[in-house]
Amino acid sequence: MSLEKKTLAGAAALVSGALLLTSCSSAGADTESSGTTADGKTVISVALFGTMGFEESGLFDRYEELNPDIEIQYESTQGESKYWPALQTKLQSGTGLADVQGIEVARIADVVANQSDKWADLSQFETADQVPNYLEWKADAATTADGKVLALGTDIGPMGICYRSDLLEQAGLPTDPAELATAMTDWDAYLDLGRQYQAAAPAGSAWTDFSGGLYNAIVSTEETIYYDESGEPVWDTNPAVREAFDTAAEAGQEGLTAKLEQFNDPNWDPGFASGAFATIACPSWMIGYIKGKAGDAGSGLWNVTSLPGGAGGNWGGSYLAIPEASENKEEAAKLIKWMTDAEQQAEVFTNVGNFPSNTQGIELVGDTTDEYFQGAPIGQIFSDSAQAAPTQILGEGDGVIKTALTQALLSVEANGVSPDEAWANAESEISNQIG
Amino acid sequence: MTTSTTTTSPPAPAGPPPRVVVAEKLTWKQRLFRAEEKGAPYAYIAPFFLLFLAFGLFPLVYTAWISLYEQKLGSSTSTFVGLDNYRWLFENEKFWNSLWRTLTIGVLSTVPQLIFALVLAHALNYRMRGRNFFRISMIMPYATSVAAATLVFAQIFGRDAGFANWVLSFFGVDAIDWRNGDWTAQLAIAVIVTWRWTGYNALIYLAGMQSISQDLYESASLDGANRWQQFWHITLPGLRPTILFTVVVSTIGATQLFAEPLLFGGGTANGGALNQYQTVTLFMYQQGWTFGFLGRAAAIAWVTFLIIILLVAVNTSIARMRDRDPAQAAARRARRAAAKGTR
Amino acid sequence: MATTTAVQQASIAAPMPEGRKRRYRAPDQAGPFTYVLLAVTAFLFIVPFYYMIVAGSRPMAEMNRTPPPWLPGPDLWSNMVKAFQQQNIGLAVWNSFLVSAAITVATLLFCTLAGFAFAKLRFKGRSTFFGITIATLMIPPTLGVVPLYMVMADLQLTGNLWSVILPTMVTAFGVFFMRQYLVQTLPDELLEAARMDGATSTRTFFSIVLPIARPGMAVLGMLTFMTAWNEFFWPVIALNSSNPTVQVALNNLGSGYVPDQSVIMAGTLVGTLPVIVVFLIMGRQIVNGIMAGAVKG
Repeated sequence: MSLEKKTLAGAAALVSGALLLTSCSSAGADTESSGTTADGKTVISVALFGTMGFEESGLFDRYEELNPDIEIQYESTQGESKYWPALQTKLQSGTGLADVQGIEVARIADVVANQSDKWADLSQFETADQVPNYLEWKADAATTADGKVLALGTDIGPMGICYRSDLLEQAGLPTDPAELATAMTDWDAYLDLGRQYQAAAPAGSAWTDFSGGLYNAIVSTEETIYYDESGEPVWDTNPAVREAFDTAAEAGQEGLTAKLEQFNDPNWDPGFASGAFATIACPSWMIGYIKGKAGDAGSGLWNVTSLPGGAGGNWGGSYLAIPEASENKEEAAKLIKWMTDAEQQAEVFTNVGNFPSNTQGIELVGDTTDEYFQGAPIGQIFSDSAQAAPTQILGEGDGVIKTALTQALLSVEANGVSPDEAWANAESEISNQIG
Repeated sequence: MTTSTTTTSPPAPAGPPPRVVVAEKLTWKQRLFRAEEKGAPYAYIAPFFLLFLAFGLFPLVYTAWISLYEQKLGSSTSTFVGLDNYRWLFENEKFWNSLWRTLTIGVLSTVPQLIFALVLAHALNYRMRGRNFFRISMIMPYATSVAAATLVFAQIFGRDAGFANWVLSFFGVDAIDWRNGDWTAQLAIAVIVTWRWTGYNALIYLAGMQSISQDLYESASLDGANRWQQFWHITLPGLRPTILFTVVVSTIGATQLFAEPLLFGGGTANGGALNQYQTVTLFMYQQGWTFGFLGRAAAIAWVTFLIIILLVAVNTSIARMRDRDPAQAAARRARRAAAKGTR
Repeated sequence: MATTTAVQQASIAAPMPEGRKRRYRAPDQAGPFTYVLLAVTAFLFIVPFYYMIVAGSRPMAEMNRTPPPWLPGPDLWSNMVKAFQQQNIGLAVWNSFLVSAAITVATLLFCTLAGFAFAKLRFKGRSTFFGITIATLMIPPTLGVVPLYMVMADLQLTGNLWSVILPTMVTAFGVFFMRQYLVQTLPDELLEAARMDGATSTRTFFSIVLPIARPGMAVLGMLTFMTAWNEFFWPVIALNSSNPTVQVALNNLGSGYVPDQSVIMAGTLVGTLPVIVVFLIMGRQIVNGIMAGAVKG
């Protein structure tokens, strides 16, 4: 037996031993469904996207304190446009799924229509008690025709406009929320203000971040967007969509936007701190995002006001669901129930701004103000917006269509493509995927 | 130990059993010895071929099969659709766009890369101080992962505070929106590729240069050819097989460009608002794993495979045609050049 | 599967053990121009690493100033800790180590075995098999990725490290590399003598071939390890963020939702550090290995 033989055999044994070890231990940890820890605690894994605010508000830690036999493993993955495809691959193989997964509102119709066999029916668990507490549309959107409840709502996305009052002041525009709201009677007035701003703005600063964001804000006030009530896609004939697209495109062409694609352009995040844009369409969940990106230095610089014309709207919002493949459904359902209780939703709102979809939660947050945003009455602003918002009709392809149209708008503002051509490109892209 | 090794490696694929010849009266031990000797080679190459069958050939053939089906990610059913996926593919301008972008980014990255590598190799071939330092620095980029390199360069090519724009500002160039622009994004990606591979190719060329026979240079310099003439008439022709090889490999590498455009775009598979840097592999990934059309992704994979086969065939036939004993040809040319030089 | 470019790039031809030809003598002393050219290039090749350190050690806001700061700041450690917490970088480094080590060991064993068979053993169909081996070099592994994914999903292996290890346990390049190496270094007489002593081929392999193949295996091992460490495409598809390799974790870092760029850069640094350390220790051997692998035999 030569030395090499020994070394080689030894190395092989070492590596395969280590691998066996990890594949055993990680079989529990990364499929995370059946896991119990060494000391006998039940492990519930939670996989969310973005800043959903539970971890940020310390709620998981508190749940573990309240339930000493539970251990929560939390991960937040990427932006939603990357989270969702990854979730699909996991659903396909049935592995790597967490016990609790987040689902964005634009995907919920797809889930209800096509994946009802992949998700647990929450009306069979403790979560059933929670369903009646929701805004009606929020609960309906996650319920199948035969009455299965596939997900419970976390937040909704009532709208406002966030702005940098220091930059507006430099450009000689009103900085008081009420004054600004009066000046913005509609979206055209918002663009007019933008033109004034652009004329006097500090170098390298634009009126708003991205025409795609502006577009999403405009359509957020509509009832019928991409699909009609019968479930047929109508986005290409819906004048509201085209008008919103054209308005946003106009802003992009005139240089009122900073050309920073939301969530994907690496320059977007620093832009919150550097003042690359003065205003941003602000669903409630954006509040927490701004705080995170603008950092402590941004405290007191930002403020919030209502949408032009005081319109109500809704952009985004999320759900929590349990994959059918989970082996801890009972415990996961208890966790979801607790996470979506009014008190917890209110707490998340106070911390990161995600607005409750639980009606009692909404009542709790009405008086909330936010020091970071110069003491703005964010509870009232977003409550009003939620109240005034129409009940949007959701469709299977919402996510796909929204992404394609925002991409098209990016090509208008950043590459000088004409709005008509960009629209046509988006049309073919969409028909490619859902047509 | 020996027996355990033979049993752990898969048995030889049908190695003919030793013919039993009665006359010789072999002992059991001898027979075993013979069998082992005959079977061993097959057992040795078996792991390679079994693994290749399982993870190379089978997936490739299965890809063709899947490409005939409509197969959605996340759903367990699939429908036979014949050649629909291919029809869809050939009618889809995004596919043609991705082929075109693969080509342009490929050219933008490969050509400067190889030329620059040649220059560097030439420089490295001198006797010098710090030889090892320079050589090691050449392959630091190669040791860096694509992901790490791309993340760094994505910041360097930032529009608002990127290092590249800051440097360019000294030359009076306005801030460039690298990511959103058409050619600028391709250029930035080409820079990443070039950065990672130039030094590596330089070392390959250097090795090639050092394997060219010294006699050629000596006789050439005796004939009075200067350094430049020697480079042009001996080094380059002598390197031709190496150059052709790097061209083939870079071509294959370019058809598979993926991580750079993916991460440069911030992790989305669009390759920019105009798909201006969506390579064909990125397009395949987008169809398969972002949109969930595995059948279409399979069709894209097969078409790409055929294109690569074609490219390689063209490349090798060119090589065969022109590459007849380069050393002798080089020597001939060097003598001719030297003769010219002295005249 | 996988182990694409890097190793294939080296596959130009056989390794050449030193001393076979007349030792190469570099032509002339380098002039100042050569030094300048090389120094500038070396600077360009190294500066991104430095950028990583600077950007990973300062708050994002400082990096966004013009001109950017030149020296590293104080936050490197805390940013690294953040990266560890946010994207499982610690687990990722460990996973990458396991995957790369397993792939390297398997590749070395299988490639040396096959290389030995092709180099020195006589058997029916040898040249055909060898021809096939070379031909497989031309098949880009990315293309089989759809069925590979489906099969791994069926086997419930996606998300598991085995899904990344299994397809890469042997490479045609490695077989070719070891064959060329053994053709040139392994004397036939030695094998014949062993045979006379009654050693089986397996015994011969372990007691004679392996010791002689060791320098070649070292080179192949380093290249394989580095390639496996840096493999991106397939791991990104097959693994997910709960059980990542370094490259998968870096992909997640780069895909947004990590609060700031300094953390991204610190994470990148952590993921690259092992390779840099290997380089500082073994840079010369790696260079020689690549060049040896490149010489037309």
